[in-house]
Amino acid sequence: MLTDDSWPSDWLRAALPLSVLAVVAEEETYGYAIAQRLREAGLGAIKGGTLYPLLNRLEEEELLRSSWREGVGGPGRKFFAVTAAGRAELARRTTAWHLFTERATDLLPSLEGSR
Amino acid sequence: MSTDVTTYRRDLILALRMREVPGDRIGEIVAEVESHVADTGEDPVEAFGPAREYAATATGRPRARWGWADILIAVAAGAAGWLLAGGLLGLLSGDPLGPLPPWAALALGVTVAVPLIRHLRRTASAVRDPRTGQDMVPLPRWVPWAIGGSLALPLVLGAVVITAFS
Repeated sequence: MLTDDSWPSDWLRAALPLSVLAVVAEEETYGYAIAQRLREAGLGAIKGGTLYPLLNRLEEEELLRSSWREGVGGPGRKFFAVTAAGRAELARRTTAWHLFTERATDLLPSLEGSR
Repeated sequence: MSTDVTTYRRDLILALRMREVPGDRIGEIVAEVESHVADTGEDPVEAFGPAREYAATATGRPRARWGWADILIAVAAGAAGWLLAGGLLGLLSGDPLGPLPPWAALALGVTVAVPLIRHLRRTASAVRDPRTGQDMVPLPRWVPWAIGGSLALPLVLGAVVITAFS
């Protein structure tokens, strides 16, 4: 049985950009909080070395924007917010993702049969 | 084995410099790492991987190799230095620099040196911390003095020799 921390890495690679975009679209937030949100959602522990290059790529694509804020007694955090283009892209990709996963799921043996 | 943040920061800045990443971008990447490990308490190598590997992942750039452009810059810097020093000393002694009168050597030296300095300033931009706006790798105070001194010393010695023997 797969646990939260053992999803195949290519599944994560496919799902992460959309998931991160969705998390940031919920509210303006920062790296560690995004990682925590993904873990709570059951996607496992996403390392900083995976998360920040992805956030920066989404920012380069102008789907996110970022700004540094002073932390309370801390060193400051980089907050990410979704742009209008990001919100539109999230809606578009979400529709496509549902269609894609439904089609892939239709090909799989039913869970009843595998039990 | 745990790595302290200061060591990781130093290694990461060096690895990003080797990839000719602009200073502002380096500052951004380093600040993200520091801010993240401050939040999580994780070891930076554990969270981001070894500094050299993360520099490659974060930028997608290969390590810069020496090319013709670098050789050209080195030759141009040498030529500019020779023309400027020869021109200045020539002005003092009244001797031409080969076929060039001293003022022409000086003018040519300045013409080569100015775009060169501009290029070097652009490629070696300071690593700014986006949180504070401060330089992440400030030069020790004595460095500009040492560079200025090492440039001025041959000129001063040359001038002394010329005035002593003329």
